[in-house]
Amino acid sequence: MIDFFKDKTIKTPADYAKTLSEVRLVRERLIPINIAFLSSYTSEVLNPYISVELAKGGYFPNNYFAPFNQFEQEILNKDGGLYSPLPDVVIIHNMIEDIYPDLISNFAKYSKTELDSIAHQIIERHKAILELLRDRTNADILIVNFSIISIDEVDSIYSYIKQQKNQYIQEINKKLLLLCNKISSCHSIDYMNMVCKVGAQEWMDRKLYFMARVPFSGQGQIEFGKILAETICSVKNQPHKCLVLDLDNTLWGGVIGEEGMSGIQISEYYPGNVFKHFQRTILGLRNQGVLLAISSKNNLDDAIEAFQNHSDCLLKESDFSAVEINWNDKATNIQKIAKKLNIGLDSIVFFDDNPTERQWVSDKLPQVKVIDVPEDPMLYGKTLHNCNYFNFLSITHEDKNRAKMVRQNQKREELNASVKDLDSFLESLNMIVSVGLSDKSTLERISQLTNKTNQFNLTTKRYSTIEISDFIKEGHMVLYISVKDCFGDHGLSGVAIIKRQSESEWMIDVFLLSCRIIGKKIESSFLVEIINIVQGKGATKLLGQYIASKKNHLTKDFYKNHNFSLINKEGGIWEYDLKSVPKKINFIKTKRL
Amino acid sequence: MIDFEKLKEVVSDILAVDINNIDENSSSDNIDQWDSLSHIRLVMAIEAEFEVKLTPDDMMDMLSVKLIKMILEDKIDI
Repeated sequence: MIDFFKDKTIKTPADYAKTLSEVRLVRERLIPINIAFLSSYTSEVLNPYISVELAKGGYFPNNYFAPFNQFEQEILNKDGGLYSPLPDVVIIHNMIEDIYPDLISNFAKYSKTELDSIAHQIIERHKAILELLRDRTNADILIVNFSIISIDEVDSIYSYIKQQKNQYIQEINKKLLLLCNKISSCHSIDYMNMVCKVGAQEWMDRKLYFMARVPFSGQGQIEFGKILAETICSVKNQPHKCLVLDLDNTLWGGVIGEEGMSGIQISEYYPGNVFKHFQRTILGLRNQGVLLAISSKNNLDDAIEAFQNHSDCLLKESDFSAVEINWNDKATNIQKIAKKLNIGLDSIVFFDDNPTERQWVSDKLPQVKVIDVPEDPMLYGKTLHNCNYFNFLSITHEDKNRAKMVRQNQKREELNASVKDLDSFLESLNMIVSVGLSDKSTLERISQLTNKTNQFNLTTKRYSTIEISDFIKEGHMVLYISVKDCFGDHGLSGVAIIKRQSESEWMIDVFLLSCRIIGKKIESSFLVEIINIVQGKGATKLLGQYIASKKNHLTKDFYKNHNFSLINKEGGIWEYDLKSVPKKINFIKTKRL
Repeated sequence: MIDFEKLKEVVSDILAVDINNIDENSSSDNIDQWDSLSHIRLVMAIEAEFEVKLTPDDMMDMLSVKLIKMILEDKIDI
């Protein structure tokens, strides 16, 4: 958040209007972003709220509000407002009561067959809208799902027919979510989540609804703007990778060094259940791919005993990918954790109940996100969710297994320390590198890697799934590798995009490896495969590019070490003599998928 | 009495017009920014700032700062 928002209270519509005028004056400090709204009502009322909330996240939006109920017309009109300027984000909000007014207020009139047919029509129509839009823009698409409440029902009891209706609409929402998962960079926003935050009774304002087709009150509009802005920020910013936690009064109540294992508060009953609940929340994040680490001032043995032997302590030592329990200062420990996990300080979030520690870490390591932890432990979980650092809009297989893979990596390193000769160590890993051509199922992960990988990344070019799928359509080669060894499966962990410049000339535009497979000569095997593939295609020229960044120093001599010669110093362009035979890495097996 | 300065401030914030250019006679006829969308925003802002509920009739009547002031005085003074 830019310092502009410090100490500002922005609550009422007038506050927002005033702040928006002020934000316009500092817009050069914000990242411009084009947002288009397609809706079945007058969405322009949302402008001040979404604009100010986005400015808090560092963006200055240029909002386009299409005339209401013009979904297909806007998407099909190539010269229309939707495409000029090209949107970075498109928000679709079609209210079910605007399409089928009777469905919400007179549900009982429909037969089962009619209902099935309507559900089918709604989904087919949105499928067509989303696919068209996907085809025509690279924008992230956010679609708001359907509301289950009507203006008259907000505060009455839920009768049988209402429950039936709710379930019917939830079924449609379920199908909509599945549809979003199939379309790249398309996410669903849950309408009822927003209604719940404001409260159903406060959500609507009848006079706005009947006089101006605005389906929510001022308070509702503010909340809607907030959620949209937070979702946009989550789409545009990569989620953070690691949560560093303190122990005493964070993961359990009390001080283990003083009170011993039996004295700490963690149990099924108050106050211990508050901490147990927080541990569950943390495990939930871990299972979404967040790496957990500990930085605590304690005696290692005391703390480990709790993890091993306390039956109510849900978190176990093995859930943590890095553990720094000692008397060092926490900034030093966090630096160690970052190094151990091979991640940047800017992808670390720090949670500690002690304000002094938080201040110290903020001062020493400004890149680390330090959570402003409330005094009341009952609010810990809520605070962790509300910080929005771990909003996973899509979760890949690799995300779910990240902690496990990091653990396997650490075992490998332990073995590494015990084996003296690197090659014989690498040989003992029995690595298998499988090379595949990208298809639909791998696009998401490939794009994720181009966006997240910093260290072993020759050009640091960031590409969206759309751009990558366009490369494939244009005849370029998008290759990936999956790596296995004796400790387990690393999953899809390397990418190369080789662009066809002409019939005979290919250029390595992207070459990257995820940090978890660095240092095993896998890059050499991958490059040899690329050389073989382009040779097989009858190429006479293979070029590669290196663009230096702050973080990719490791790859500076990559082409030089693999017998490429520098032909253009300024552009960092290297050429490989395709007549020569590349040197194979004998201890790595390669497979083509 | 209602706080007239506060009312001017709200109108100025919502319509993005300098507060010095707002007086009792300011209305949708002489302020370009006062269109139907701004009118909705103005209604919501006045409800929030003055802690009142406006009716559809109020919403249709409040076409100038003077009229808004009268409507508010009606509601608050009783």
